Amino acid sequence: MVTMDEVTPGKMTEGYLAKRVQVLKASAFLTSKLFFADPQWLIPNIIAPFIFTLVAFFLFQGQTSGPDFLLYLVLGSGLMGMWGTTIYASANSIGFDRWNGTMESTLAAPMPLSWIALGRVLFNTLQGVLTAVFILVIGLAWFRTGFAIVNPPAFLLASVATFLSLSFFGLLMTTVLLLSRKGGFITNSMEIPVYIATGTMFPVILLPIVYLPFSFLLAPTWGIDAIRLAALPGYVGLPTTYWEDIAIMVVETVAYMALAFFLFRRVEAYAKRIGTLEEY
Amino acid sequence: MKSTEAGTGRSLSAGSRLQMAYRVFKGAFFFGRKGLVIWDSWEMWVMQIFITPIAQMGFFAFLSVYLRYPLSETQFIVIGNALQAMSFSAVFAVANITSQDKWQGTLPSTMVTPANRVALFIGRAWFQVLLSALIAAAGLLYAATIFGVSFANADYLGIAAVVMLTAIAMTTFGLLISAVGLYMRTALIVANVFLFVTLLLSGVNFPVSVLPGWLQPVSWAIPLTYGTEAVREAIAGTSLLGLLPLLGWEALDALLVMVAGYAVFAGFESLARRTGRFEEY
Repeated sequence: MVTMDEVTPGKMTEGYLAKRVQVLKASAFLTSKLFFADPQWLIPNIIAPFIFTLVAFFLFQGQTSGPDFLLYLVLGSGLMGMWGTTIYASANSIGFDRWNGTMESTLAAPMPLSWIALGRVLFNTLQGVLTAVFILVIGLAWFRTGFAIVNPPAFLLASVATFLSLSFFGLLMTTVLLLSRKGGFITNSMEIPVYIATGTMFPVILLPIVYLPFSFLLAPTWGIDAIRLAALPGYVGLPTTYWEDIAIMVVETVAYMALAFFLFRRVEAYAKRIGTLEEY
Repeated sequence: MKSTEAGTGRSLSAGSRLQMAYRVFKGAFFFGRKGLVIWDSWEMWVMQIFITPIAQMGFFAFLSVYLRYPLSETQFIVIGNALQAMSFSAVFAVANITSQDKWQGTLPSTMVTPANRVALFIGRAWFQVLLSALIAAAGLLYAATIFGVSFANADYLGIAAVVMLTAIAMTTFGLLISAVGLYMRTALIVANVFLFVTLLLSGVNFPVSVLPGWLQPVSWAIPLTYGTEAVREAIAGTSLLGLLPLLGWEALDALLVMVAGYAVFAGFESLARRTGRFEEY
């Protein structure tokens, strides 16, 4: 509760931030506990991307070879894991409340829903990153190839930026799925299209021209390109440089963030007004 | 236990038992369709039938284009994925039946009904068989219209038979996994693993012969493997008669899976009744 002492501009800002950070931490911590309690995390995180990689490996056999190619394949697989996790978890972050009957309590909390959701999405994206690392390790061991990246600092920067862009994309998706009980179904259906649109396994320039605007609006498309530019020698992807990729990704991520917070405010108000969030 | 007429203790004739089983099947079929609340909206229909196959086919087709595969091999991949796309409905949705009963608290009520279990669960799964066939049909339509697969010599009767039989056969796998789900907290993990494994082992994206020797028998234990080979042959012009050996193996496979599913279900049902832990997880 905010006391009168805190109602001064400086202290109010301090309380404002401290409370939100506290909510972020609590929300992320609870999500981590729920995550490890449910063995289904294995599906989008490890199994699905790894099987896709194995299929790709059999398809790739005889076509191309060499460690750079295998690294391309394994990187793609890891990125699919990150994506899959973000999409799956974003949809379920609110759907889970609906199934468990905790939706009202969450909405009634004296804190904007966007911050609660952001804490959940941040943890989910973080475990997506861990998934990517895990898949990389398995993939490199399976294919018996090394992991020599061209520019490690640039690789790290691109990875962190992609992590943030995925988090805010996940937050944006949560707003859309807040009003729908079909969130899980929608995200299942979206999984492969976003793998295609962001060029996880093949460059997006292969896609039909009508599909490209959608690809370019997804910040991870640029992130994936930047990661590959930093990791693979002689990689030819989008007609942009590494820094251009990063700049576009940052702009799009900021746009996701602004849109997500705006939508959350509207959707939360709407949900409280109609009072039918759990109805179906 | 011998079936008796309700309240009288008299044994029922085989005909009456069949009639009752049919009524259970019919009721379960309509309930199964209504129980899928997701089907209330037409957008979900469109997404499941039309978006799922094109997304999957597109992913692997673009991958093959990237690898500079010849058109014939891309089309091989496209046809395989058109048929495999039905697995989301035939395996995933059906495998989820017992898990959904658990979440919704309806499992004990379902299990105490004196209804024939085979009729009950096949009835609940039957809607998915029809849906799976529609998904595969949409996939094959995309194969012809978008990916340029020639159907000039195709045997349409053969294609229809393969699609229907594969939908039924894959649904039996879904039922087997659903039976396992009676014991597990959720069958989704097993269903997902199986679903993705079919992409690898069922001749969907490359011939089974490419796989290591020790994996090939596993491939041929999956009904979809016969289905993908049969549908490619039917598109190439093999008649229904010529497809019979493959379809026969697929039907036999499905039958064995069905029997295994029933045995697993009966075993776990008996265990659950003995321990009273239907919903515990």
